[in-house]
Amino acid sequence: MSFWDKMQNMDRRWVYLMVAVAVIIPFFATPDLPISITPEAQMLYDAVEAVPDSSTVFVVFDYYPSTIAECEPMAISALRHFYRKDCKVITLSNIPLGGPSMAERVTREIALEYDKVYGEDFVNLGYKANYVAVMSGMGTSIESIFPADNSGTPLSELPMMDSVVNYDQVAFIFEIADNATADYWVSIVNAQYGIPIGCGTTAVSAPKYYAFVGAGQFVGLLGGMKGAAEYELLIGHSGSAVLGMGAQSLVHLLIIFLVIVGNLGFFLGRRGKSGEIS
Amino acid sequence: MSGIEIFEIWIMAFVTLALFSFLYKDNPLYKIAEHVFAGLSAGYYFGLIWDTVIVTQLWQPMIGGKWELIIPGILGLLMFARFWPKYSWVSRVSLAFYMGTASGIFLTSQLHGLVLKQMQATMLPLVNGDGFGAAALAIIVVIGVISTLAYFYFSKEHTGALGVTAKVGIWFIMISFGAHFGYTVMGRVSLLIGRVQFLASDWIGSFSQIF
Amino acid sequence: MKTTIPVAVAFVAGVVLVVSFFFDEGTWVGGISQEFKIWMTIVGGFTILLGAVSITRVNWSAVQRKKEGWPYKLLTLISIFVMAIPSVLPNTWSPLFGRDVGSIYDWLFTYLDSPMMATMFATLAFYIASAAYRAFRARTAESTVLLVTATVVMLWRVPMGEAFLNMFPGDIPNWLNTYVMNGANLAVQRGIIIGAALGAASMSLRIILGIERTYMGKG
Repeated sequence: MSFWDKMQNMDRRWVYLMVAVAVIIPFFATPDLPISITPEAQMLYDAVEAVPDSSTVFVVFDYYPSTIAECEPMAISALRHFYRKDCKVITLSNIPLGGPSMAERVTREIALEYDKVYGEDFVNLGYKANYVAVMSGMGTSIESIFPADNSGTPLSELPMMDSVVNYDQVAFIFEIADNATADYWVSIVNAQYGIPIGCGTTAVSAPKYYAFVGAGQFVGLLGGMKGAAEYELLIGHSGSAVLGMGAQSLVHLLIIFLVIVGNLGFFLGRRGKSGEIS
Repeated sequence: MSGIEIFEIWIMAFVTLALFSFLYKDNPLYKIAEHVFAGLSAGYYFGLIWDTVIVTQLWQPMIGGKWELIIPGILGLLMFARFWPKYSWVSRVSLAFYMGTASGIFLTSQLHGLVLKQMQATMLPLVNGDGFGAAALAIIVVIGVISTLAYFYFSKEHTGALGVTAKVGIWFIMISFGAHFGYTVMGRVSLLIGRVQFLASDWIGSFSQIF
Repeated sequence: MKTTIPVAVAFVAGVVLVVSFFFDEGTWVGGISQEFKIWMTIVGGFTILLGAVSITRVNWSAVQRKKEGWPYKLLTLISIFVMAIPSVLPNTWSPLFGRDVGSIYDWLFTYLDSPMMATMFATLAFYIASAAYRAFRARTAESTVLLVTATVVMLWRVPMGEAFLNMFPGDIPNWLNTYVMNGANLAVQRGIIIGAALGAASMSLRIILGIERTYMGKG
């Protein structure tokens, strides 16, 4: 068995070990790398900047805990950006596993940094089942879909909600999603009510949403942890996404190296020589 | 860092490492974590729906005078007829309401919000003042959209003009799927970075508090 | 009756929602449509509840019959009840009940459920690296295009890789964003979106008209 054949049959756990080492090293020897801003992230930042101060906005927590590493830095940056502009923030979630809990925790944590008061500066509507009905129904009346907030307080008892009836009073929607709910914010809310939507999404979903940015249905896009890092830099508040870029770089380089070695092994090894390549 | 905070960090570190242990091989610790996860998630669903839907959306408005909500309440309860095979057909009524209403929203929103808007964004003027690059991009997009649609059109054999167009579509699709793969790698790596950030900063950071 | 009533219900519900699209919210059609949307959230909630109850039943049955691996299933059952029971008790009795921050429900989610779900998905990084090493081969011209695009995009999306690409002339990162992501990729995604949306719309029409009935199951 040649060297390349041995490489082809390497125990997968060696690959796992290499990935683990590549992801750990940068946390102890942080490389200082310039992070470029993509036009899509810049467009989103500019669109949020263009929202009039003190407007009412939505920050939607449409992600599961599984993608917290990619999506939470986006949510934190979006909240910081809106709180800085004194916007009234309404949060909600269409995710039944963890969405409302994460919205509650993150929104309250960031609110403390800006002395924001619950019920006056921000409200967490929580969750309601069947997201197409929720998105569509809020076009007529938010209170009919969410009679109470996430803690069960009737919306009529929250001062901030006095002046908010439906989408007519909402200036911007910042959708942070790891699933297809973003498609329905586009097809139902943006298309029918014309509200500008900015999207932060996982890297897995990002390529699809370039089509929405190109059509003007999203005013900007953050793709994955890199997108989150870009937004952190744009608002001037580095966080976990910027910190993660070192590890992200090293693991990408490792995977590219593995792909090259795998292909070399395939072509130079037994299977390549026996003419298995078509 | 308080004692409770350290305890919480260690709990999180324990379940994280228990699940990562599967990478070496399957083991009882992994199985325990996996089954606890399944149970807690089901419990989470139950607690959330009970509070936000059954109590807040159904019960409280109903006793407040919105008696018409008894209809969706009954429709919801009929869903549970699925547990009794003899009467399971009854749940079809609830399912039909669910599917019918969702279809009503989908029918209009998919055509109005996606098909028309996306087609409109594809048919752009070539001379738009943005120069040759923008015109070239607009042509690439038109060719790409048409050839992709042709590739996924299976009602006619891919021969002749359709076959050539579909062949062009394959090349576009390969580029897009390649980009998708690159992004997917990025996404999966980011999730791992999230856990390693926790272990490297919070968990290892707690060592100095204990030892 | 077993089929006619559900088909009639789907038809009426669907038609109301379609017609209301063309009317103002203040009209009677808009009013009925809004009421239907509220009902949808309630019925939708019950479907999720059905799933949670179903998991409990399946595990309960496995524990009762002492099927293989039943102690693990018992653990699942215990976890369900430990999470669910305190959440449905009123928080006026104790701050540990209900769903607010500080409750048992919130604690179990934050410190157990959430990190476990995040870890399960994090393991995919190892699998995708292993798969890239073992299966990502330039066997044909098409797969070579896929492989080269993936590799260049992987480089472009990280600072180290972008620094490497910038060593070459021609502003490769900008070219990638313009012609790959906003060119070929956008076109393909747009084609897929249009195709899928047409499919979803036609399927919706089939459901409303009662042609599509597979969602009802057999019997």
